[in-house]
Amino acid sequence: MSFLQFVEGPLFYAAAAVFLLGVAWKVLGLIRLGRRPDLAPPKGSAAWGFIRGNLRHFVPRGIFARRTWLHIVAGYGFHVALAVLVFFGAFHIAFIERLTGLSWPALPRWGFIVAAEIAFAGLIALWVRRISDPVMRQITRGEDHASTILTFLVMLTGCLALQESHASLRAIHMLFVDIWLIYFPFSRLMHAFTFVLSRGHSGATYGRKGINL
Amino acid sequence: MRQRLPFIFPEILPPEARFFCEKSPPPPVGARTARLFALLALLATLICTLAPAPLLAQSSVRPPGAAASFPDAPEPGPANTLGTRSDAEIWDMIRGGSPRDPGVIFAPTPEGALMTTTGQQWRVLRERYIRKYAGWAPLGVIVLLVLHHLIRGPMRLKEGRSGKTLPRFTLTARVAHWFMAVVFILLAISGLIILLGRPLIAPYLGREINAVLTSAAMQGHNLFGPLFILALLWMFVKFVAGNFFHPHDLKWIFRLGGLFGHHVSSRKFNFGEKTWFWMVMLVGAVIAASGVLMLFPWLTDDLRFLQLATVLHVLGAVLLISVALGHIYVGTIGMEGSLDSMLKGEVDENWAKEHHDIWYEQMTGKPARADEPEGEEAAP
Repeated sequence: MSFLQFVEGPLFYAAAAVFLLGVAWKVLGLIRLGRRPDLAPPKGSAAWGFIRGNLRHFVPRGIFARRTWLHIVAGYGFHVALAVLVFFGAFHIAFIERLTGLSWPALPRWGFIVAAEIAFAGLIALWVRRISDPVMRQITRGEDHASTILTFLVMLTGCLALQESHASLRAIHMLFVDIWLIYFPFSRLMHAFTFVLSRGHSGATYGRKGINL
Repeated sequence: MRQRLPFIFPEILPPEARFFCEKSPPPPVGARTARLFALLALLATLICTLAPAPLLAQSSVRPPGAAASFPDAPEPGPANTLGTRSDAEIWDMIRGGSPRDPGVIFAPTPEGALMTTTGQQWRVLRERYIRKYAGWAPLGVIVLLVLHHLIRGPMRLKEGRSGKTLPRFTLTARVAHWFMAVVFILLAISGLIILLGRPLIAPYLGREINAVLTSAAMQGHNLFGPLFILALLWMFVKFVAGNFFHPHDLKWIFRLGGLFGHHVSSRKFNFGEKTWFWMVMLVGAVIAASGVLMLFPWLTDDLRFLQLATVLHVLGAVLLISVALGHIYVGTIGMEGSLDSMLKGEVDENWAKEHHDIWYEQMTGKPARADEPEGEEAAP
């Protein structure tokens, strides 16, 4: 078995299992925590507040939008472009099709490149903001840097293998993907799933109290 | 059938081979007569063959340049033969001139020429000079910086830190700077691998590893190139204010930036910082434009622009990398308190007094030195 076969085969299955089980365990654990009992009569719908809280946070508020425009632009740019790369990159679709038989239309190569440019620009801007802003530095842990650098390396090795000229480059990319999947549930990368719960929790609490978000 | 060799020095041959050198017995009389006729026939054939040779030779061999031409010289051969031209002359015709003629080297494909040979000059320039010597510039700067650090040491604040700070760069300016720094470092590493992989990596790590690294570096370089343009524009917008040259900068130039101990007054940016800013902007613009041309070669039909683009791209990049090493040194371990400006956005007041005293006075309204009356040089 070659190294490429190993990282695309057994190691990938193991990493994917850790990822799925870890994410499920964490999300279910958070849901099972429930909420504190509120004996006051509800003045609004908690469920509607949950949905509204999630949607409302997608749109920045006026004064904050002006002050944090860089964070907003870089944050949206990175996350949307990364999602596009992962789910619409031709190589990724081919890989998923090989595993599951599922397939869908892929981005053209130029589209992939543009999305990669946006994703890299966003990630670099977010990271340098983290080290440049004194407040951000105060609330940043080593784990945040590790998550950022690992994500950057996954993206970078993927793009370095774009020419598809050497199997070793693809193997290095897959190795970083496997490490990323294993690291994901135990890191702040979990925010990809938990943001729904945290926003929803705040929204539900406010919604029950009848607060207009 | 065994073939007999001429009877010459059989003693130098091994014994088993000497059989071939044994003398033959004398032939009979009839055979000798036959040989005589054969010899005569061969002689007659040779005479008939060689007689028209001078005529044929004159049509295919070019006479020397100084040779006299005779009025009765034969006519040149038909159009599809070499005629009186040498190979070199024919190639010069195809090229449209001599390859040693600068007009041919740098001209577009000359009229009537079938091919252009500017690629040869470009290849020689790239392989024999640029690829060979480009790496020495950054290496030389590193050596100089190490020597400077060992001999003179870092520039310490004479009065230490005051504990009071002044705001120097906004958050977006700092992010723009670090964004450029990250992209620049990624481009520099990948670019140096592409440029120097063959002479520096392949001989030591092998061609296969060099091929993998170069392929990866090329993809990365092409990917981060457009981000460099974005970073360049962002840097320009955030830093152009305060970076225009001013007559006051002449003092900095005459005193060599205080290299030999003389204090040099400075505004928000001194002459060295301004020069670095404009170098990044202008050389960076050349690098960006040449990079775009290499990424999209169909933008031009003229091969010379692409060749020029590769040369300018490399030379500009090597220049920026070399100077950036000095910038990194002064901004980190070379000067106490410098890094604060880009990490925290604030600098210690004593740092401002010592290195940018006019800016300090503009910011605080107080004199930077005790012997100066208040606000003496605070005018913008």
